[in-house]
Amino acid sequence: MLYDLTIVKDHYREIAPISDFKLSRRGLLASTAFLALATATAVGPTGSWAAAGVSAEQRLALIRMARDIYPHDDFLPDEPYVAVVDSILKEAESSEETRKLVMDGLSDLEARAKKIHGTSFAAIADPNKREGVLRSIELTGFFQKFKGGLLMGLYNNKALYPKFGYDGSSWEQGGFMDSFDKIGWL
Amino acid sequence: MAAKFDLNDDSIVVIIGSGAGGGTVANELAQRGVKSVILEAGKTLSLEDIENDEWSMFSKISWLDKRQSAGSWHGAVNHPGLPAWIVKGLGGSTVHWAGVSIRYQEHEFKMKTTSGGVAGANLLDWPITLDELKPWYDKAELKMGTTGEVTGMPHLPWSADFKVLAEGARRIGYSKITAGPMSINSEARDGRPACQQIGFCMQGCKIGAKWSTLYTELPRAVDTGNCEIRTNCMVLQVEHDKSGKVTGVVYADQDGKKQRQKARVVCVAGNSIESPRLLLNSESSLFPNGLANSSGQVGRNYMTHMTAGVYGVMPGEVHMNRGTAVAGIVRDEAHYDDTRGFAGGYTLEKLALGLGFLSAFLVPGPTGWGREVSSGLENYKYMSGVWICGEDMPQEQNRIALHATEKDQYGLPIPVVHKTDHPNDTNMRNHAYGQMAKIYHSLGAKKIYNLPAYPASHNMGTNRMSAKPEDGVVNKWGQSHDIKNLFVSDGSQFTTSASPNPTLTIVALAIRQADYLATQLKKGAI
Repeated sequence: MLYDLTIVKDHYREIAPISDFKLSRRGLLASTAFLALATATAVGPTGSWAAAGVSAEQRLALIRMARDIYPHDDFLPDEPYVAVVDSILKEAESSEETRKLVMDGLSDLEARAKKIHGTSFAAIADPNKREGVLRSIELTGFFQKFKGGLLMGLYNNKALYPKFGYDGSSWEQGGFMDSFDKIGWL
Repeated sequence: MAAKFDLNDDSIVVIIGSGAGGGTVANELAQRGVKSVILEAGKTLSLEDIENDEWSMFSKISWLDKRQSAGSWHGAVNHPGLPAWIVKGLGGSTVHWAGVSIRYQEHEFKMKTTSGGVAGANLLDWPITLDELKPWYDKAELKMGTTGEVTGMPHLPWSADFKVLAEGARRIGYSKITAGPMSINSEARDGRPACQQIGFCMQGCKIGAKWSTLYTELPRAVDTGNCEIRTNCMVLQVEHDKSGKVTGVVYADQDGKKQRQKARVVCVAGNSIESPRLLLNSESSLFPNGLANSSGQVGRNYMTHMTAGVYGVMPGEVHMNRGTAVAGIVRDEAHYDDTRGFAGGYTLEKLALGLGFLSAFLVPGPTGWGREVSSGLENYKYMSGVWICGEDMPQEQNRIALHATEKDQYGLPIPVVHKTDHPNDTNMRNHAYGQMAKIYHSLGAKKIYNLPAYPASHNMGTNRMSAKPEDGVVNKWGQSHDIKNLFVSDGSQFTTSASPNPTLTIVALAIRQADYLATQLKKGAI
């Protein structure tokens, strides 16, 4: 499968920054808790994913997968993951190619979950088992589409920089002249 | 007043590329009264375009024309369309470079003699010595504002992140630990300000404290009235007459229209992928294997340096993004000592990545996801990192080849970039990983990540310099062995990679080449 920085770059302009959401502690340990939680946090443009022919349950499976691709259990809330999933579903609304990629990829994921663990993907309680299923599809265009989107949506997201302790742009403040050489523990 | 030259003016030098090689040659020629036209494939850039944002600048300035990675290096899988990370824009990769300006060591000009030869490597001694190059290194450092003895400008102050590396290095017994030489102003100099520790050096220096031809050589060349720069002009072919002398170039202008610029001399400086590609694409009935290629070495011996990254999660906060990207260098492994299991040496260069790039490179490629990546990124502010840069063995099969079927937007075969590590490279990388592990463990690092090579920013060797015409493409002046009015002015003329970053040596060679070329033109020898 083609994976490249140029694909990452394509995502760059698609992911809008998440503005000013609250960071809360939300463990997603049990699948039932996750489903309830994700249902409760089903915020944003609900029309778009429905219009792409995606059911609420399918969307939740994608959000579960997104959280497993770059897991930040207590560190990040659902919103940035949801935003990435929804942006891809929004694209699926107008692009048959994307819609097919997502729907076929998801069917494949669910079939594997069923075959290996006898349950739907999101209902697999053990995160290591979910990772195992995802490792079996990691080279697919479906998986890489979400991975690329998340790379931008989580780590190139200015609203999340402070959470990671990253400062971002500095020239407007005259650089880091006051702090660049400070270290307390060495 | 800016010069404007006629397409039929065959008295001028045509320079292809405006980076460290092309930009420097243009200004040096212009100062000596020699007229030139620079054809730059990329667009005009200015400080206004520079942002402190890794991905935004990546998409703005990178060379993203179609290319293919090949060979057994991980990039053939993980970076299939991006073998190299260089710039398409005015100023070339001097916009992107980090500023490290180390001179090559004496023995690094004669690696074949020093090593006695390495099996499987196409080693050759340079046709020049450090002694010959010394005065040109001095001129290069004065031009670029390199911190150190020649300019008298002190090295930059140590950043927190460099203090971490330096302390770890000290604990394992290293002592060659310095914050330079860097071509970044530590004081206001030459019309450019002192560094403000902004970071994002490799996204382009927002204030111009780092040397780049973009705001030094290029405007100065234009100011003489002897140089015209044409941007968005991609050279497609170098043409020649029946006698085999080059007569000019065909290029696609900003509207995609083909133009023919005549020339007395052509200097090729499009970096080590495009320069050989252009010569290969310029094949003719007289030169069926490509221009300047009687040796068969055009496009071969492609070297990137032996590179790798190591990032460690430290016990306290580091904030590596605060300050210059490469804030210091450790050179205790840069010497020659083959008892370590490899020929050549390497440096440890502290390198800060932002959150965006670290997320893509910590574990690169399609399999780089999961807790291994995300838990590391949660510790971003505790991270410290280095880039390992060492001598790369030249191998004939590591090469720039033309794709059999795939064409670019101009209808030319795309370059296929073959790179496979020599066992020497692997041994050196493993040695460096081991030393970095000792350094970071000595500091109590909680986790260490070994990163493979990034897409190459150091690209060398594909039109190499040789004493004998049968061994290489150009002579010791960068002049084609086969065609005396054709020059190579970039890092593709490097005979071997040595361990230091290439830009300083490219500039020293370019100043020297311009001096030779101007003299030859004056004498009517070309």
